[in-house]
Amino acid sequence: MPNETLAPVVDRRTFVKTALAVGAATVASPYIIPARAADVVKLGMANPLTGTYAAFGKNESIGCQLAVEEINAKGGILGRQAQLIIEDSTSGDAGTAVQKSRKLIDSDHVNFLLGNVNSALALAMAGVSNEKGVLHIDPGGHTDAVTGKSCHWNVFRVCNTTAMEANAVASALVKSYGKKFYYITPDYAYGHTVEAGLITAIKKLGGERIGGDLAPLGTVDFSSYLIKAQAAKPDVILFLVAGNDLINALKQAVQFGLDKKFHLAGALMELEVLEGLPTEARIGTWLLEWYWNQPNVPHLDAFVAGIKKKTGRVPTARHWFGYVGGWTCALGAEKAKSLKALDIAKALQDFALPPEVALGPNKAYYRANQNQLLDTIYVGLAKAKGSAPDDLFDVKTLVNGADVAISGTLEESGCKMTWPT
Amino acid sequence: MTQLILFNVFNGLIVGAFYALMALGLSLILNLSGVINFAHGGFLALGAYFAYALIPYVGFWGALVLSPILTGVVGLVVERLLIRPLYGRDPLYGLLLTFGLAYMLEDGVKYVWGPQSLPFEAPTWLMSSLSNDYFFLTGYRLFMILIVVVAVAGLFGVLGYTRLGMRIRAGTRDLETVSTLGVNTRLLRSLNFGLGVYFAGLAGVLAAGQLGLEPTIGDGLIMPSFVAIIVGGLGSLVGTLFGGLLIGVVSGLTTVFWPAASEAVIYVMMGLVLLLRPRGLLGEEGRIV
Repeated sequence: MPNETLAPVVDRRTFVKTALAVGAATVASPYIIPARAADVVKLGMANPLTGTYAAFGKNESIGCQLAVEEINAKGGILGRQAQLIIEDSTSGDAGTAVQKSRKLIDSDHVNFLLGNVNSALALAMAGVSNEKGVLHIDPGGHTDAVTGKSCHWNVFRVCNTTAMEANAVASALVKSYGKKFYYITPDYAYGHTVEAGLITAIKKLGGERIGGDLAPLGTVDFSSYLIKAQAAKPDVILFLVAGNDLINALKQAVQFGLDKKFHLAGALMELEVLEGLPTEARIGTWLLEWYWNQPNVPHLDAFVAGIKKKTGRVPTARHWFGYVGGWTCALGAEKAKSLKALDIAKALQDFALPPEVALGPNKAYYRANQNQLLDTIYVGLAKAKGSAPDDLFDVKTLVNGADVAISGTLEESGCKMTWPT
Repeated sequence: MTQLILFNVFNGLIVGAFYALMALGLSLILNLSGVINFAHGGFLALGAYFAYALIPYVGFWGALVLSPILTGVVGLVVERLLIRPLYGRDPLYGLLLTFGLAYMLEDGVKYVWGPQSLPFEAPTWLMSSLSNDYFFLTGYRLFMILIVVVAVAGLFGVLGYTRLGMRIRAGTRDLETVSTLGVNTRLLRSLNFGLGVYFAGLAGVLAAGQLGLEPTIGDGLIMPSFVAIIVGGLGSLVGTLFGGLLIGVVSGLTTVFWPAASEAVIYVMMGLVLLLRPRGLLGEEGRIV
């Protein structure tokens, strides 16, 4: 109904029609928007920017952005400028992750797909990328299946498998703490595989699992689990939860004084978690997948400075994952002299990262027929305060991921790679 | 096994007390204004982050006093600008608004302080463990119970003995008549909303000591608050208090036997209550909102 007041007020029907039109435009846009310039090489990253993994996803995207800037400064990929498109996959909704991946591939015509922090979402996205034949780099999703049972020729992973993590830290745990282990495990793909890996590795060293609990992802209050852990009287309580769950669990465990009765440790630790803990909770033996404070590593200072310029803080492993992901795309394309996914995938078999990308003491390369990056794992102790504000980890052992005792054999990984003809 | 169960009952009461604190604020707003405040978790996060920002200047105790007040003021502003125009309309409008507001608050907090977890340092002597032979008692949890008791007592005191409280109670029964008696109902609703959000802010400061401080800190706490209100009974503050404690205990006990179900069990309880006694355990019959 037309409004007779002096102030122009949109009437309800017009408003509703406009809203519907806008909504339809959003859905229809792939068909309406004209083809983008074919000169740009596009990298599409679908990573969590909201939710519990937002910090990790954001840091990976910043690392990748730095890589793309450096790549462009050096002339781009095969003479063409590179562009990074970032989409929010959410922290746990596989449907959205798949939808964004399809959007990046079908609408934005990306040459490379990157993602996901959440292991389950990484697997879902790998299904899409394999279906579409797009080269896919998983910077930070850890579950074994990505380069194991569900491996694909077009999917490469930067971060460690959970088996590698378990093998790397097991001996430090048994040597330092004892034989009786209680597990607090997140109840999803990542948690199950890292627990299984640790049980096997620790058993080989004479330790045993005396009990454990599966905590739902996103558990806020760990008291019930800690109560049970205390009743079991282990030597060590292993915290396999990640991200905010780990912060909550450790904070509460230390508040309850459990660190005075038992050892608290785990497998994967991340600098984001250490930074979020109060000083008294920065304890225990853990592993980091990459650390910024390494002596005698060339090109490291440049990388640390590059990230500090963007964020004001030192880089974490997540920044490095994103950085390696971006550079892998460029280096693979350069080696293959082609942007075709199959050519690049073949060029990346047993491909070793150059020192300015590897940024670690040992060789870092993608194992052939598994597409898994084997590199250095940093086992050590969390510390409350260090020489620098972000120096919160004391590296005790540099473990070489390429060592078959750590990486396992190709058969053990369960990956049977099939190549398209 | 009995010790384990006892531990968990006690622990559940503590967790439940915290849920009750959140739920009381939510219930206040719901009863008087008829607004389902989905942004309550966002205000909790705001309270936590305000405390984090204030601690370097006024210390933990200063932040404990000031941060909820600041959050309450933000609540007042939100009510005046955003919620007041929606009174008298379909409750769906209020729900949609607060739903969007929740996202705005979370993203706003993320924009200002970043998505990563921040280290929240409560006083060390408070954080230490007092006893874990009979139950997990830390100084912090004792402190939390104390704050909840004081806050709840204060709330019931205000509601029972002050003029404002009397008007709020009268307003939840019949706002129109209260308005014809000369009470400024607009101001009343604003103050009531501010008071509810004050409780969210207070819960936020307490939560930051126990949990990692990051933008989604309110997400895991808002749903149990809603369930506490439904289980305890719409329209009854005592019911909400009781509902919070009950779901805390049940959730804690479930973790002993079936950890995967510990989150789901509170919704099962909600389902049972809705089926068997829709008004809630202590709710008033016929209460719609």
